[in-house]
Formats: sequence, C-alpha cells, structure tokens
Amino acid sequence: MGLIFIRTAIIYAALLFILRLMGKRQIGEMQPFELVITLLIAELACIPMADTSIPLLYGIVSIVTIYLLHQIVCLFDLYCAPLKYIVSGKPSLVINKDGIDEEQLRKNSLDVSDLMESLRTAGYFSLSAVDYALYEANGSFSALPKANFEEEQTSLPILIADKGKYNKKNIEFTGMPRSFFDEMLQNNGIADVGKVLALTLDGTGKVYLQEKGKKRRIFRVPLPEEKTW
Amino acid sequence: MVKALLSILLSLLLIVGAATFEGWYVRDTFDEFSSQLQTLYRKIEEKSATRGDAEAVRTSWNEKKKSLHVWIPHNDISYIDYWLSEGLSLTETGNFDDARGKIEVLLEISRNIPAAYAFSFENIF
Repeated sequence: MGLIFIRTAIIYAALLFILRLMGKRQIGEMQPFELVITLLIAELACIPMADTSIPLLYGIVSIVTIYLLHQIVCLFDLYCAPLKYIVSGKPSLVINKDGIDEEQLRKNSLDVSDLMESLRTAGYFSLSAVDYALYEANGSFSALPKANFEEEQTSLPILIADKGKYNKKNIEFTGMPRSFFDEMLQNNGIADVGKVLALTLDGTGKVYLQEKGKKRRIFRVPLPEEKTW
Repeated sequence: MVKALLSILLSLLLIVGAATFEGWYVRDTFDEFSSQLQTLYRKIEEKSATRGDAEAVRTSWNEKKKSLHVWIPHNDISYIDYWLSEGLSLTETGNFDDARGKIEVLLEISRNIPAAYAFSFENIF
C-alpha cells in the first residue's frame, strides 16, 4: 500500500512535469494538473474493477492518493503564486502591439500557422485584427481585437511565408508569381525570405509582414482585378 | 481551506494507517506460515511427518489466505496454493524426498512475498 502510494505520487509528478514541458498546445480547456487527474483516474478505476486478481484496495489507495495530491496542488494553486506558476504555468502573450512574439510561440511549441488557426477559431481571420492575443495557462486562446476589426475582415488572409520559407501551395492559391512576393520583400528592405517571420496577403491586397525580431508592418499592395479572392 | 487541509490530513492518515497495517499483517502472516513450514520441513527431513502434520499446515494456510486476499494480489496466493498442494500430498503419501524440495520452494516464496511488498527503493522503482 505504501508502495502504491509512492508509485502513484511519482507517476502523478512525472505526468504533470511532462505535460508542462509539452506546452500549451497539448492541453485543452484544463489546467495541466486537471488533465493529469483525467488521464489517471479512469485507468486507476478500471484496472482493479476488471482484473479480479488485483485487490480492490489497490485501486482505492491509488485513487485516494490522486485525490490527496490534487488537493495539495489546488492549495498551491490558490495560495502560493510562485508554485502556481510552476504547476499550472502562466499565460503567454503571443501577439502584442509590435506583432507576433516569436520567442513566446517557440516556448509553447507553436508556429505562425498554429497561431492563425487559433485566431480563426476565436473569430479573427487576420493577424492584424488583434492588438493582443494570448494562450492562457490552460491552453485556451484569448484575443483583444482592434476596434474596427470586423470591417476589415472581408477576405481570407493567406499565409505566404513563415519561419523564413515560402508556402508554395498558398502562393499558388493567390495566383501571384513568387517574384511578386520577392519584390514586395525587397521594397520593404528585406533581401531574403529567410528573414521573414510571417507574411500574409488577403484578397483585398492587405499585407501583414513581420521580419524576425522586428515590428510588424501592415500595408496594402495593388492586386490585379482577376487575382482577388 | 480548512476543509481542504482536513481532507488532506484524513487521506494521508488513512493511507499511512493502511500501509502500516498491511506491512505488519503480511509480514506477520508469512512469518507464522514460514515457521509452520519449517517445522514440517524438519519432520520431513527426519522422515517422521504424518498426514496430520500436512493437514495442520493446509488448514492454517486456508485460514490465513482468506484475509490475505485483501492485501496482496491473488496470483501470489494461488502460486502458494499450487506448491502447497503438491508438497503436502507428497508428504501424505510418504514421498519425503520430493516433498522436501516443494517445501523448500514454499519457504523461499514465503520469504520473498513480504519482501516484495516491503517499502524499499527497488520495490518502488
């Protein structure tokens, strides 16, 4: 019984640690320690229930241990801020007034396309539609939109380049030649696409361009009539 | 907060209490079983073991295993059952040479089982 208590506590701590390392994309709507409970309880309840060769007490002790650890973690979460950050993590501000925070994205094992997906799920179709966006500690996504963002959401922005590489499929979708984007970058003082963190273009010609380690730039380029979407 | 602290304390007390009792109970039960086996083993060596000696060990084990099922996996108990049945029936038929080997295995098992559930580094990992 003492062994089961210790072993359960070790597995609980290991799972919590690994979930914290995995970052926010692995968690959905739950704090890491809540997800650990969800993962463990079902199995702990099932094994002694289905396998009659294991004493029922083994399952009960494991479940009581999980409850005990959960109560301790909940107390830390409520009354001890430094430990709360270690156990639950803290929100990550991934978009601010300067644009995408590449460092925060990397810390959470996310890239620009993941960020755009989260934005779309939250109802914002453009990187320029929000002033601030963050991943909460529980993995959910929150954003503060610009005042007039709905008026500007008339066309779907396409991710042309991210992490220093062009997205060939998306370039084909726009119907524009790659040289068009090379020229756009050169006009903005960027010699090579390798320096681009994010480049999007929507059907009205609105461009979101952010160089790695620099502020975002939002401008318009004229598109041929038949190339709009 | 008081309610949470109380529930933590209560759960901890329950687990520590159950663990302490389990450790003591399993060790004590197997110590007793082991001493009965040793007595039988000596008699087997002297070739003086009788059907009554074998039956006494069997009855005692059957009593003990009822409550042992609560504390240790049932497979471990079945394992002892098999060896004990063989050892005791060999004793009853007077086949002492073969019975001695079976009782030796049982003595080893009754030393190993409490050790396998004891609180130690190798058992935790």
